[in-house]
Amino acid sequence: MKTPAPAKQPTPASRNEARTAASFDTLYRDHVDQMYRFATRLCGEPEVAKDLVQETFLNAYRGYQTFRGDAQVSTWLYAIAARACSRMRRKRKGAPDRELSLEEFIPTSEGEFRLQIPVDGLSPEEALQNKELRQVLDRAIAKLPKKYRMVLVLRDMEGLSAKEVGSVVGLNERAVKSRLHRARLFVRRELSAQGIAASEPSHNGHPFMQGGR
Amino acid sequence: MAKRTTTRSVQQKPAHRHGKGRCVAILKKLSAYIDDELPGTLCEELRKHLGACPNCEEFVASLRQTVALCQHQPAPALSQAERARMRNDILRAARPR
Ligand SMILES: [Zn+2]
Repeated sequence: MKTPAPAKQPTPASRNEARTAASFDTLYRDHVDQMYRFATRLCGEPEVAKDLVQETFLNAYRGYQTFRGDAQVSTWLYAIAARACSRMRRKRKGAPDRELSLEEFIPTSEGEFRLQIPVDGLSPEEALQNKELRQVLDRAIAKLPKKYRMVLVLRDMEGLSAKEVGSVVGLNERAVKSRLHRARLFVRRELSAQGIAASEPSHNGHPFMQGGR
Repeated sequence: MAKRTTTRSVQQKPAHRHGKGRCVAILKKLSAYIDDELPGTLCEELRKHLGACPNCEEFVASLRQTVALCQHQPAPALSQAERARMRNDILRAARPR
């Protein structure tokens, strides 16, 4: 983040700047947690996520005049973050950006129809108290090709409508839904392939805990 | 409940003859189904199939669970200090003196 802008003496512009700074603080206060959550879900690693958040708010600061009240602030920020994310091009492990076809998700054997993870009879909150499950889920999402992950995160994790997701990523609703469906099928398959045992509360050393990231 | 009979000819037995093509067609619509976006008649048709096809029924349940897990997956939060530090960094980058 460097910007060698020409240093200036105080002018009317600086009053303008003070206004910008005040609204920036509000913007930051109200949305930094949301953007960090979003960034973490996109990037996985906390340090990369922090970079992305800073980049996002820096761009928001600079582009504040271009923000028009017709969009929701958060949608506007999501879009800035999404663009910054694709620019950052930090190489992530896994996740080559390939197309997902529906055909690859058609189960071919009996075991593939249900999730091999301990969720039956549990609410999602209860199931997610299992740390191993949280990790497997994170990993499944991280494995998604980027453009699919973007849509799944926005829709199913950030809770945007398909239409809002479309305006963030620049797709029509139909395309959003198509990507979303493939992304969900991908994550579903990952979960069903993982075979986590029901959590044994006290006991550690799961095979999943070593390895990656 | 209606368990598929798995015992014989384990591979590539279409558990329900009316099936494979139908099941695949269904699979393509499942997100729309669980998001409640299918028009009534289609939805009805799909529900009927699910009732008669344990595989698809299990599949849709597992997709629902997957979405629910995504929706509830907790995310880490920033500490107060981290939040403040980042704010200062951003402002410094935005307004080089
Ligand atoms: Zn079926």
